[in-house]
Amino acid sequence: MRSEQEVNKAIERYADTVRRLCMIYLKNETDTEDIFQTVFLKYVVSSVSFENEEHEKAWLIRVTINACKDVLKRFFRSHTISLNELMEQPEILEPDHTEVLEAVLSLPLKYKDVVYLHYYEGYTAPQISRILRKNVNTVYTLLTRSRQLLKEKLGGDGLE
Amino acid sequence: MTGLNNKIHQALQQIHAEQALKDKTKAALKQKIQQYEKQKYKTEKRRLVAILACLCLLLIGGAGWFYFTPATTISIDINPSLEVGVNFFDRVVSVESYNDDGQELAASLDIRFMTYAQAIQEILETENITDLLSADEILTISVIGSDEQRCRRILSDIESYTAGQKNIYCYSAASDEVATAHEIGLSYGKYRAFLELQSLDPDITPEELQHMTMREIRDLIDSLSGNKQNENASDTHQGAGNGHGQNSGGGNRRQGR
Repeated sequence: MRSEQEVNKAIERYADTVRRLCMIYLKNETDTEDIFQTVFLKYVVSSVSFENEEHEKAWLIRVTINACKDVLKRFFRSHTISLNELMEQPEILEPDHTEVLEAVLSLPLKYKDVVYLHYYEGYTAPQISRILRKNVNTVYTLLTRSRQLLKEKLGGDGLE
Repeated sequence: MTGLNNKIHQALQQIHAEQALKDKTKAALKQKIQQYEKQKYKTEKRRLVAILACLCLLLIGGAGWFYFTPATTISIDINPSLEVGVNFFDRVVSVESYNDDGQELAASLDIRFMTYAQAIQEILETENITDLLSADEILTISVIGSDEQRCRRILSDIESYTAGQKNIYCYSAASDEVATAHEIGLSYGKYRAFLELQSLDPDITPEELQHMTMREIRDLIDSLSGNKQNENASDTHQGAGNGHGQNSGGGNRRQGR
């Protein structure tokens, strides 16, 4: 079991990552709070010995994605967060990015994690396949399709 | 980085975990960690109590077993035949009989938890035994155990308690012989006599000895060995005191005085 100091450090280091994943997957604040507690509680009680920070981060990402999917399954929540709800939190977004975020949030669930991991975290397809425990070819396919969907939504201007 | 990469990265870069969310998570986890540790402490305490209780039970069981396990057996034969089990603390923990007379005598005695010295005294002072001894019957007392030193000490004590009483013979023997005696339904004193008799008359059976007195057995041995006359003279001599012998079960008898 990890100490309170260790978990506090992890919260400081990975809270933004967990928050972004929650935003992509979940609709409301209560669920986000639940996910934060679930993910970091798992971190506290986990006996996994991390080789380095990258390993630790990948573990937390996987746990967060799984926790979000569990919440969605359990409560039959909407798969997307509406932009209006995001806009109700003015400190979160600058107006320039609303269109892009809306496009990302409107993607079907199966594309969201690969889009986040590839476009934001910068993971390659083989790395994503290890984190999500998916076939690498499946990841390539999901990335290609999600890119097409995003281009369609964003008009394709200056995206290459 | 492509335009799409940049746009998505920049858009998501705007998202941060609010300080309130982080603080709330930290507080909730702090509480959960404390609860977990309290629970863990309680569980460990309960486990420790259970282990200690088991140890206590084992200890009590072990001590009980140790207390009630005879370390030495004192076989008293005159017909009745009795075997008295003596524990490591020199206390009587069992009284066994090997014939009807013995059962009757055992039922009339209340010698459990007495010291072996008190028990022997009590047995020798019963009316039945004193009458038999007065009628010139022979009493043998055998001390049997695996601890030779302990057997020697008990034998020596018994010899001193019975000093001055006629027709009493004392021996010590090893435990394995007793098991053989019990297998054929005899007490150790009679088993010794049976071995002696068997060497003179191979047809003799243990059942025949079960209801005979030690005097009758001794007389039979003497008659078979053709030394009856001599032995009678010897018995007259024993009447003046008691016979004491010690061996490892070979049947030797040594006259004490």
